[in-house]
Amino acid sequence: MYDAFGIINPSSRQIWVEGLEDYRSIGAFSFLGRYRIIDFPISNMSNSGIDRIQVYIRRKPRSLTDHLGTGRHYNINSKRGRLQVLFSDHHQEHDIYNTDISSYADNLESIELMHHPYVVIAPSYMVCRIDYAQLIQTHIDSGADITLAYHTVDNAKEAFLSCNTLELNRQKGVLGIEPNHGNAKVRNIFMDTYVMKKEYFIDLVKKAQSLSSMYTLSDIVNLACREADVRGFAHHGFFASITDFKSYYDANLELIDFKSAMNLFDDEWPFYTKTNDSCPTKYYETAAVTSSVISNGCLIEGSIENSVIGRGCVIKKGAVVKNSIILSGTIIGEDVHVENQIVDKMAKLIRVKEIIADPENPGYIRRGDTI
Amino acid sequence: MKQNNMLAMILAGGRGSRLHDLTNKVAKPAVSYGGKYRIIDFPLSNCANSGIDVVGVLTQYESVLLNSYVAAGRRWGLDAKDSGVFVLPPREKADANLNVYRGTADAISQNIDFIDEYSPEYVLVLSGDHIYKMNYANMLKEHKACNADASIAVIEVPLKEASRFGIMNADENGRIYEFEEKPEHPKSRLASMGIYIFNWKMLRKMLVADIKNPESHHDFGKDIIPAMLNDQKNLHAYNFKGYWKDVGTIDSLWEANMDLLDANNELDLNDSTWKIYTEDVTTLPQYIGADASIRNSFITQGCLIEGEVQKSVLFTGTTVNVGAKVIDSVLMPGVVVEEGAVVQRALVADGVRIGKNAVVGSADSENIELVAKRVKGED
Repeated sequence: MYDAFGIINPSSRQIWVEGLEDYRSIGAFSFLGRYRIIDFPISNMSNSGIDRIQVYIRRKPRSLTDHLGTGRHYNINSKRGRLQVLFSDHHQEHDIYNTDISSYADNLESIELMHHPYVVIAPSYMVCRIDYAQLIQTHIDSGADITLAYHTVDNAKEAFLSCNTLELNRQKGVLGIEPNHGNAKVRNIFMDTYVMKKEYFIDLVKKAQSLSSMYTLSDIVNLACREADVRGFAHHGFFASITDFKSYYDANLELIDFKSAMNLFDDEWPFYTKTNDSCPTKYYETAAVTSSVISNGCLIEGSIENSVIGRGCVIKKGAVVKNSIILSGTIIGEDVHVENQIVDKMAKLIRVKEIIADPENPGYIRRGDTI
Repeated sequence: MKQNNMLAMILAGGRGSRLHDLTNKVAKPAVSYGGKYRIIDFPLSNCANSGIDVVGVLTQYESVLLNSYVAAGRRWGLDAKDSGVFVLPPREKADANLNVYRGTADAISQNIDFIDEYSPEYVLVLSGDHIYKMNYANMLKEHKACNADASIAVIEVPLKEASRFGIMNADENGRIYEFEEKPEHPKSRLASMGIYIFNWKMLRKMLVADIKNPESHHDFGKDIIPAMLNDQKNLHAYNFKGYWKDVGTIDSLWEANMDLLDANNELDLNDSTWKIYTEDVTTLPQYIGADASIRNSFITQGCLIEGEVQKSVLFTGTTVNVGAKVIDSVLMPGVVVEEGAVVQRALVADGVRIGKNAVVGSADSENIELVAKRVKGED
């Protein structure tokens, strides 16, 4: 048990996932069929012994609050532990003042009330397995003011384009935080994950507010790099940042391969989610499923290849689903051919013959649409 | 309790010895069924869905797993302020020695104090080892409408099978005038499902008398129901239509699982208005490999399938490796079928590993093979 509380941060205004984000925040996106993205940071915290967790919501709370519920499914003590959902009180969705700093400022009292000396701040829109206990210990041992987690990638030219990067010196000291301009292959992608003393965090929030009403936490930490001791902490293993449409699609497809999935999953490190009490999935005589991840409650008569199928989907006879992500409760009608698509919840693809997109440019079918 | 004044008692003490090795370590109600469930999930979910919020579970045989399983009432939503699932094994009391439950009625008698604490108007007595979906609220409604002292749920069975059951003979209004246990020449096809609603005050009196009767078997079917008929009590037969199965043997447990593959199966587990709740096991989703082939099967989360699966039911966390074949079989939680192994017409018990290229069961066997121990492979 480490003496830290957790903060799960929503994505900033600069990040937008086409289509899906119209209906919910990124944390509430379905992932790999049975999970939501936010299950990963919360489970990481829970498994790291953090049982006081604040989830900040910037916009569209319905889907996320519905999923979080009492937080009991995250295996945190229901008396000592607590999953708290916090909103920014007085800002509109597209308001330029709607920053993470302003929601911390609005809820400063509940942050001050935490009796834990350290805080871990992690994003609700990144998928990885990370032991925060180790991060906190590294932070304490180093005596740094702030420690930031990063993941080194070699495809920063074409991916992670909505992410920030860390500029590090040889001693893993952080020189600054800057956007990924896509001009180099190898980059240290900032995992938007911070650890610092609670008091230090509160001071940063106040300072950010006094300097600019539009400052975000990463802005003020970037400024702090000039004088404070800010260090980097390298993460290894599976890492995905769900910060645009393609990254959501790619992260799901990458995890279809069981061996790749083992870079994320570990028997000793469970990822919790809310049960839906769906029954097992039924495969009919005509079913043909290969290289796919399937959730419970589905009725499958058609063909599925290299796809992720959400809970309670119906894939009718003769239907073909290929390289696609089908969200829960969707119906793919008889002989309908779906390829390279993300099909949002409860859509009905019944009257169309073919919906095929370019693999580099996957298509999107809106939530509840009948086509 | 507030809404219907009825408390449920589930009889879950039976061993189910005809299930052989499957019930060596767990009681029959805790046996796995249908991919992700245990049999006792059915009566417990029925209670939750029928608005019953206090449930006593009477356990006896190998009850450690069963006790801890049902004690987590949250799984069925039975954890609200005034609700709960209470595990009631036999216990020592100030005025009586520790006695095992000598019969179904004795199990209730020994817990009169528990029931009195809630002073319900009605007590619903259920079996913990039947698979079915039933709205007990409807049964209570009919019980009240008929002004019955007791109601017994009955289901029509084929006449040739009727002599395996307790048969209720009732008049056209459903009033029972005769009860015959496993009759050689059955007069009706109405079999008792072992589901009873009693007016508690009346049942309490009968149980107190029954404890003192040295001749009694302390059994509902053998003693209490005949005594009630003898006393001219109003016993009502509640007609149930739908899927109902008492899985007593390996063959019938296998069959009940296979029923789930039948397109016309009446037990619709996909019905979102009457879900069957169970333990929420943390697992991965189903992973289907590049060379997998799955037809006519029922498969749940946490399975990894790289081989061939046909007409089978696969439970939580089973693995079927490349080149393995599983046909007409039931794989209980955590079973691993290694590369090239063939499993046919078999029921493989929890956690059993079938080694490389091993062959288990056969297509033309009369009975289903129960595989309860590791099967060694060959390279």
